[in-house]
Amino acid sequence: MEEIGFLGMGIMGKAMAMNLLRHGFKVSVWNRTLSKCDELKEHGASVGESPAAVIKKCKYTIGMLSDPAAALSVVFDKDGILEEICSGKGYIDMSTVDAETSSKISEAVQKKGGSFLEGPVSGSKKPAEDGQLVILAAGEKGLYDEILPAFDVLGKKSFFLGEVGNGAKMKLVVNMIMGSMMNAFSEGLVLADKSGLSPKTLLDVLDLGAIANPMFKMKGPSMIQNNYSPAFPLKHQQKDMRLALALGDENAVSMPVAAAANEVFKKARSTGLGDLDFSAVYEIFKATEPST
Amino acid sequence: MVSLVRGANYAIMAASFCPSLPHHFKPTPIVKFPQSSFSFKVFSSQSSPADETPTRVGFLGLGIMGSPMAQNLIKAGCDVTVWNRTKSKCDPLIDLGAKYKPSPGEVAASCDVTFAMLADPESALIVACGEDGAARGMSPGKGYVDVSTVDGPTSKLINGQIKETGALFLEAPVSGSKKPAEDGQLIFLTAGDKSLYEKVAPYLDIMGKSRFYLGDVGNGAAMKLVVNMIMGSMMTSFAEGLLLGEKVGLDPSVVVEVISQGAISAPMFALKGPSMVQSKYPTAFPLKHQQKDMRLALGLAESVSQSTPMAAAANELYKVAKSHGLSDSDFSAVIEALKVKLKD
Repeated sequence: MEEIGFLGMGIMGKAMAMNLLRHGFKVSVWNRTLSKCDELKEHGASVGESPAAVIKKCKYTIGMLSDPAAALSVVFDKDGILEEICSGKGYIDMSTVDAETSSKISEAVQKKGGSFLEGPVSGSKKPAEDGQLVILAAGEKGLYDEILPAFDVLGKKSFFLGEVGNGAKMKLVVNMIMGSMMNAFSEGLVLADKSGLSPKTLLDVLDLGAIANPMFKMKGPSMIQNNYSPAFPLKHQQKDMRLALALGDENAVSMPVAAAANEVFKKARSTGLGDLDFSAVYEIFKATEPST
Repeated sequence: MVSLVRGANYAIMAASFCPSLPHHFKPTPIVKFPQSSFSFKVFSSQSSPADETPTRVGFLGLGIMGSPMAQNLIKAGCDVTVWNRTKSKCDPLIDLGAKYKPSPGEVAASCDVTFAMLADPESALIVACGEDGAARGMSPGKGYVDVSTVDGPTSKLINGQIKETGALFLEAPVSGSKKPAEDGQLIFLTAGDKSLYEKVAPYLDIMGKSRFYLGDVGNGAAMKLVVNMIMGSMMTSFAEGLLLGEKVGLDPSVVVEVISQGAISAPMFALKGPSMVQSKYPTAFPLKHQQKDMRLALGLAESVSQSTPMAAAANELYKVAKSHGLSDSDFSAVIEALKVKLKD
């Protein structure tokens, strides 16, 4: 397959690009802080000095940026994608953004003759490393079909969801549920502990029943040991809650539980837990001390 | 399975006479009580020796859960006596070979171990401690196992009344609804008398797939409430997601499928999602009981001074659903509470 460009060497981008390299893809990478590309370079990737430079070199370029602002910046800023995107080239934005941002990018890319696909993912660091992501694509079907070999390496399952915006919306819906679940889980762990029960036993009980899920199983043990090394930073989870609530606002959809969850994530951010794994929200349920 | 003891009694009775108790049955009884000589035989699909006197098992409450649970005991070869407030609910069990007594007290009196599966704290209390309640029929050597989901204080109250008769008590609420009950796949969250727990373990194993012994009375109740609190919140979050997805133009069935592929894939979502998408809520776990559990969980949180914003928000939705007449629908009907309609 053709050489693939990759913009954004964060937690996800780095793991995904490495995965492509390991499967024999030629990859050209870029990151705002260039040093983050070093490890990829050691594994055989070439390094571009700007998003435009990467687009110039590659037929297909994937973007994996942390939020709407960063996703827009690699497109619209100086030395951004738009300077080199043209007919015959495709841009696949796998960042998690709101539908409006995605549409904006899609429109701009297509205006220059390029093809666009949004492809946010469900799954964090480990699934990215293991090529076990769930890819929620939408946009140009033709580009989807062409990039599928790369998707098959990056993920365990890909969905094509129709028009641009649908991938973004699906991602936000899933992450909203996930953020609420993490809150409910934390709330339960603390109640168990305060009621004199063993949190570890609660984990065992949960794992046997109808609400058992990989997230509880994976995060539970490290949470009760106060270990929150970031697979999915809390600040990004809160960003997703915020975007999901905004989507609900736009469409007048009632979401009181998500709103309650968002409040707790906000509190967590304000106490400096933003860069830890989103499971660190557990700390807020554990102890809220009155300010003196 | 092995026959446990011959001619033993509940050595715990000795508690009032000697502080140190054996935790298991010894072949030679320590204190003999004339009316309590019996042996325990564990029933399973393997045949039992003909000379053993089988344990007489009582079962009070034949609702969504109690009926399949009692049926599983009967099918396993246990000697079962049933009671239900509405007698007709006993008929299918009687057809399978169960005996019948017209009051909880009489069931308890005629049985060695009596299980109770009632809908809420009020019923559990009445059945155990009311007029003609189970406590009337309890005596040294007998055991009462309450598998209802109640709050800690209610459980402790029942425990007190039962223990006063000299009998043993085990709280044993379950995790799992209708289908796990039918399939014998329940999870028992027990607390109370350890020796009674050990005695009834074989029956729990017939009705369930796993069991936990959690210590003092109140711990089983608390564990059940915590689990159901998380479940209740999860269901409302799932409902919010399905509704949001639908409103912004996604196919809710695809939302369910996407969830099933990822980190938050849970059996509950896979099971209930498809019917929720069709606005169907076949009752496996009545919404009114889920709301009861949320309320009790909030009470538990309050008793330990814990803030529970998620459960509080979720509880509101269950209350709204109840006010829309959805009490007897499956608790997944809570999604209807998010769909606001004006009264005609």
